[in-house]
Amino acid sequence: MIVEYHRPKTVEEALSLLSRNGMLSIPMGGGSGIDRSSLEPIAVVDLQDLGLNTLRVRGNFLDLGATVTLQALLDFPRLQPALLQAIRHEANYNLRHVATVAGTLLVADGRSPFTTAMLALDARLALRTGNDQGKEEKIGLGDLLPIREERLPGRLITLITIPHTIRLAYTYVARTPADRPIVCAVVAAWPSGRTRVALGGFGSAPLLAMDGPEAKGAEIAAQNTYSQAGDEWATAEYRQEVAGVLVRRCMEEISSQ
Amino acid sequence: MILDLNINGIPLTLTASPGDSLLRILRAQGYFGVKHGCESGECGACTVVLDGKPVNACVYLAAQAQGHRIQTIEEVGQHPEQGWKVTTGLHPLQSAFVESGAIQCGYCTPAMILAARELLDREPNPSEAAVRETLSGVLCRCTGYLKPVQAVLRAAAALRGEAVEPIDAPIPAPPEWLPGEGDKPSPRGEEIHPSTFIPHPLLATTLVMPRIQVTPETETWQRVGKPEIKVDAVKLAQGKPAFAADFEKRGLLVAKVLHSPIAHAHIKHINASRARELPGVAAVLTWQDIPRVIYSTAGQSDPIPGPLDSFSLDKKVRYVGDRVAFVAAETEEIAQQALELIEVEYEPVPAIFDPAQAMQPGAQRLHDEPEYVNFAESDPTRNLAAHIRIDIGDVERGFAEADTIFEDEYEVSKVQQAHIEPHVVITYWDEDDRLVIRTSTQVPFHVRRQLAPVLGLPIKRIRVIKPRIGGGFGGKQEVMIEDVAAHLTIATGRPVIFEYSREEEFTAARSRHPMRIIMKTGVKKDGTITANAMYALSDTGAYGCHALTVTGNTGHKSMALYVGDGPYRKAPNIRFYADVVYTNHPPAGAYRGYGVPQGYWPVERHMEKIARQLGLDPLEFRLKNALRAGELHPFSTAWSEGREPRPETIETCGLEECVRQGSVATGWDEKFGNPGWHQVPGKPHLRRGIGMAMVMQGTAIPYLDMGGASVKMNDDGSFNLLVGATDLGTGSDTVLAQMAAEVLGVAVNDILVYSSDTDFTPFDKGAYASSTTYISGTAVVRACEQAAERIRLRAARLLNEQDSPVKVVPHEIRLIDRKAVAPDGRAVSMAEIGHHALHHAEQEQIMGVGSYVSPVAPPPFAAQFSEVTVDIETGQVVVDKLVMGVDSGVIVNPITASGQIEGGMTQALGYAVCEEMRYDEQGRSRERNLRDYHIFQAHEMPELITIFVETFEPSHPFGVKAVAEIPMDGVAPAVGNAVLDACGIQIDDIPITPEKVWRALRDKS
Repeated sequence: MIVEYHRPKTVEEALSLLSRNGMLSIPMGGGSGIDRSSLEPIAVVDLQDLGLNTLRVRGNFLDLGATVTLQALLDFPRLQPALLQAIRHEANYNLRHVATVAGTLLVADGRSPFTTAMLALDARLALRTGNDQGKEEKIGLGDLLPIREERLPGRLITLITIPHTIRLAYTYVARTPADRPIVCAVVAAWPSGRTRVALGGFGSAPLLAMDGPEAKGAEIAAQNTYSQAGDEWATAEYRQEVAGVLVRRCMEEISSQ
Repeated sequence: MILDLNINGIPLTLTASPGDSLLRILRAQGYFGVKHGCESGECGACTVVLDGKPVNACVYLAAQAQGHRIQTIEEVGQHPEQGWKVTTGLHPLQSAFVESGAIQCGYCTPAMILAARELLDREPNPSEAAVRETLSGVLCRCTGYLKPVQAVLRAAAALRGEAVEPIDAPIPAPPEWLPGEGDKPSPRGEEIHPSTFIPHPLLATTLVMPRIQVTPETETWQRVGKPEIKVDAVKLAQGKPAFAADFEKRGLLVAKVLHSPIAHAHIKHINASRARELPGVAAVLTWQDIPRVIYSTAGQSDPIPGPLDSFSLDKKVRYVGDRVAFVAAETEEIAQQALELIEVEYEPVPAIFDPAQAMQPGAQRLHDEPEYVNFAESDPTRNLAAHIRIDIGDVERGFAEADTIFEDEYEVSKVQQAHIEPHVVITYWDEDDRLVIRTSTQVPFHVRRQLAPVLGLPIKRIRVIKPRIGGGFGGKQEVMIEDVAAHLTIATGRPVIFEYSREEEFTAARSRHPMRIIMKTGVKKDGTITANAMYALSDTGAYGCHALTVTGNTGHKSMALYVGDGPYRKAPNIRFYADVVYTNHPPAGAYRGYGVPQGYWPVERHMEKIARQLGLDPLEFRLKNALRAGELHPFSTAWSEGREPRPETIETCGLEECVRQGSVATGWDEKFGNPGWHQVPGKPHLRRGIGMAMVMQGTAIPYLDMGGASVKMNDDGSFNLLVGATDLGTGSDTVLAQMAAEVLGVAVNDILVYSSDTDFTPFDKGAYASSTTYISGTAVVRACEQAAERIRLRAARLLNEQDSPVKVVPHEIRLIDRKAVAPDGRAVSMAEIGHHALHHAEQEQIMGVGSYVSPVAPPPFAAQFSEVTVDIETGQVVVDKLVMGVDSGVIVNPITASGQIEGGMTQALGYAVCEEMRYDEQGRSRERNLRDYHIFQAHEMPELITIFVETFEPSHPFGVKAVAEIPMDGVAPAVGNAVLDACGIQIDDIPITPEKVWRALRDKS
C-alpha cells in the first residue's frame, strides 16, 4: 500500500529518499509496474521532475534517460525496426505513454520482449547511490537482471546506453500476434562480428544465450539455453526446439540487413 | 495530502491519499466517464488524456498528475440540443461512433474516443493500421473493433472536410451474389453489379453496413430493417453516468470478500473480532452471522432447472476463491486490511479436479449439506450436478446400418466472459425501507425473486434497478454478488457498493463449462449419416449453476443439425448423453452460446474428418445431412431445458444460401484443394488453410421465456416504452424501439425506451437465450398494437369531426410518418392525437401492455468460414480472415446486428486460439489478469466479413430470429478445419496453441 508520495527535484534528493531506513521506498518512473495489491506500506519516489527523460545520440550509442517512456523511444526516428517491434510487443499504446525504459527493465519477467531486446543489445545501465558523491556505477543489463532485487534497493538507474547502429533482429511465437511471447529471440550483430543472442518467453528474466565474436553456434546455443525452459505455458522440449528456429530466422534476417 | 489538479481546464484542490489512483479521484469528483475495468492498465477503460497523451488512470497516481493537464470525456462535446442553450454539439468522433454502430455496451467508448482524438490531433489522415495501433490500448469485448475503426476513419474524413459514405450505403455484394429462390436483390441499395465489387481500401474501411440479402416482406417497412442509431449511443459517447457504479450515495460503504485460499475445506474456526475492531469497519459477516438459506445463483425462471446447492456463506469452501466472509468499511483500503485480520482455521479435505474421477464411486463428495435440493437427475452422492440421457430414433440400428463408424474424442477449455465492466452492485434502503439493488445484471427480475428468501425479505420489499450494462455475455445471468452488498446493507443500515476486481473476475466469477466429448458417427459410403452420438463430460466446478441447461444445449443445438439423409432424414438416430460433474474448480455458468460452442467444436471437427476420409466435398457432405425447413427439430420431442418437450417444426432455414454466399466471399472454390494457394511465396515455412463450419442456435426457450412491455402515449406524440428486457450492450433497446416505431408509425427517437426496473417495467425473464428481439420484441409489438388501436379510434373521431362527407373507419387508418392517415389522404398528427387524448375530450391515457411466450424456438443458421496461416516450424497459427453467412431471419437493424456478429466472432476467435483458464494441482488459477488471459486487441484482428441471408420467420411479427449467440459457435471448428487444411494435422482440443500444432506436425512427420 502506498502511504507516501514524493516528487524530488534532484537526483540527490531522490537518492536520499530511497536510502532511508524504516520505510521501503521505491523509485517510480511511470508507475504502471508497481504492485499495488500488497498491504505492506511503501513510499514511492516519483522521478518525473529529475530531467531523466532525455534521449540523446552519442556516436553509435543512444543514451536513454531512465524515465524516457517506451513510446518516446519508439518514436525515435532512427530506432532499429526490430527494437521498435519489441517495444510494440511489450505494451499497448496507452501503457507505452506511461511505462519508462528503466521501470520496464526493473519489473520485467522472462516474457518481456523489450528486455530481451535490450539484453541482446548489451544495454549498459548507470546507477547512482546516496553516497557515491556523484559517481555513477556502470553495470550491464545481463549482470543486473539476476540480482535486481538485491542490488537495486537504495540505488537509482539514471541512464541506459545501447548501441543503435548495429544490426538487430527480433522474432517470436505467441498464441496471437499481440499476445505475450511463449518464445522470443533477439539477435544483435556488431560490425566486428560480435553476436549476442537473447531469449525471452520464460522464467523470471530473459536469458543471454550467446555473446561471441561471430554468429557461429547461435542456434545450438539457443537450444541449450532453453533446454530446461518448461513451465505452465509451454514445455522445455517445445521452447528448446523453437528457440533454435527463431534464432536461425533472426540470423537470416541479420544477414539480409 | 493536498493535491492541485487541473481537470478539463478547471483547477481543483482536494485531499487524497498518496496511493489514490487518478481513476479513483476522478470518479470521486464525478467524472464517471472514466471507467474501472482492471487495476493494471490492461483494459484501458480508464483512459484519460494527460498533457495530450492517452494514459490509464488506474495505474497513474493522482499525485503524479499534479502539474499536468488532465482531460476526460466530459470535456469532449455535448448533446447538441439543450433547450435554449446553443452548444457546440458532439465532437465529430462522438458523432461517428454514434452513427457507425461503434458503440455496443459503451463501457470502453469514452476511452476509445479519447485515444482516437489524440491520434487525429496529430495525424489528420491516419491509416487503418495507425487507428488500430491507437486503439490497441483499449480492450473491447463487444464490437470486434471493426466499427470503432470505421468510426475513427469516418471522423477523420469528416474533420478533413471530405465527404463520407452515408451510413446506410450498402457494401457492394460479390459478383457471384445471386438472389436466392424467392428472394430478390436488396431494395435498400443499388442494383448489384459485378463491376461494383472492387476492393477499395478506404471504401472498405469507412463503410459500416454488412452485406445483406433481404426478404421481400420487409420492403414496405419504415423503421424495421434500417440502420437506426442506437437509442443509448449519444449518452454513452459522452461518458454519461449510465452504469451501476456511476452513482453517488452519501455514506456509501465499500464491500470486500475474503476468498478461500484452499480448494476444499471445512471452516473449522473463524474469528472476525480483530477485523470488526479495526477503525472504519462497519460490518464483518461470516457464515455464523446470516441465515442459512439454500439457493441457486443461476439467474433462470422458476423453477430453477438445476440443483439448489449454494449459500451466501457456508461453513465449507469448495474452490480457491470461494467465499469465506464479507466486510463493509469506510474505504477500500480499510476493507482490505480487515480481510487480513479475519482468522480462519481450515480443515482441508481432499480436492478433486478431474470430473471423470469425481463421479467415480467413493470419490470425495463436494456437496454433503443436508439442505441440498436435487433437480431431475442430479445426485450429489456421485458429485453429479446433472445427468442427461437422450436417445432419438434407434441409434444402435443406425450404427449397424452404417458402412463406416467414426469415433473420436475432443476437448474444450474453460474460458471467461471477460466483460470489461466487472460485476458491480450498490444496495441501499430507500425511504420506504425497501431494499434497492442497483446492479449490473442481465436478469433483474430473477435477482429480485431469487434473493428474497436469501435476504429474508418479501419480493415486494426489493427493487432491482438495471442501469446500462458494460457487457455481460452470460456472466451476469447469475445472482452472484448482489447478496454480498445486500447482506451488508441489512447489517449496517447503510448503502454498500461491491465491485469485483479483475482478479476476482478470474478467480471467483463464472466461466464457460469445459468438457471432454466423445463423438461416434455412422456413415454410409455416399455420405449419408445413419446415426450420430455424443457423450459430454462437463465440469461444472464447485456449484451446479446452469449445469443441466448449458450442457443440455450442447447436445440440443449441435446434435440437431445433422439428421442424416434419405430415410434417416425422416427418422434420425441421434444420441446425446452427458454427465455434469462437481469438481473443486471455480464454478462454470452461462456464457454466450450457452453450451453450444462446446458442442460445435467436436461436431464440426468430426464432420470435417468424415468428409475428408470418405473423399467427399466438406460442404456438400454437410448440406446433404443438414436439417432443412419443414422438418421437425429432432430434439424438440426429447428435451426442453428440464421441462416437458413439445414438437417444433423448422419453418425457415437459409443455411444453404449462407454456405453459398459465405463461400463466394471467402473464395472457397479457388482456394480449397488448390495446392498453389496453400503456399506462401518466399515463405517456405508458412502454409495457408481454409476451413468452415455450419451451425445452428436457438431463439429463446419455448413455453417458458416471457417478456413484457408497456407503452404510453405522451401529449407531443412521443411514447414511453417500458420493457423489462435487459439491454446489456447488444442494442436490444434500439431494436425494440424500431419495432415500436414501425407499429406506431413514428420515428425511433419518438420512442423513449426505459429498461429496466422491477418497480416500473413489466416483467421480463432477462437477456439470455438469444431471446430479446424475438420474445420481448413480440411483447412490444403487442403492446404497441393495443396503443395503435386506441390511436386509430381517436384519429377517426378527429377526422370525422372535420367537415368531410367521407366517414373514416378506424381500422382503415394507417399510422405512418408521425400521422394517422385516412384512406382519402386526410391525416391528423400523433401530437394532435396525444394532446387531444390527454387534455380535450373523453380524456384517456392511450397505452398498451403486451407479453409473450413462444411455443417455438426457431433456430438461426450460419456458415462460418476461416482462413489461416500456419508456421509449420513453430506451430504458430495466425487467423487471417473470418467470414460468416448468417440466417437470423429478418434483420431489424443491420448495423447493430452485424456488430453482434463481429463481436461474437472475435470472442469465438479467442476461444479458438488463445483463451483458456488453467489451474495448478492445488486448484489455483494461472490466469488472474488480462495480460495472461489474452483477449484480442484492435491491432491484431483478422478481416471480418458479415453476410446476412434473410428469411422470414412466420412466428414473429417482423420475421426475426436470434443473432446474439450464433457467432460464438462456428469460429473454433472453422479455424481447426483450416489448420487441418493448411498442414494436414488434427487438433482436437482448443485452444489451438502453437505447441499443440507443433506436436501434431512432429507426430505426423
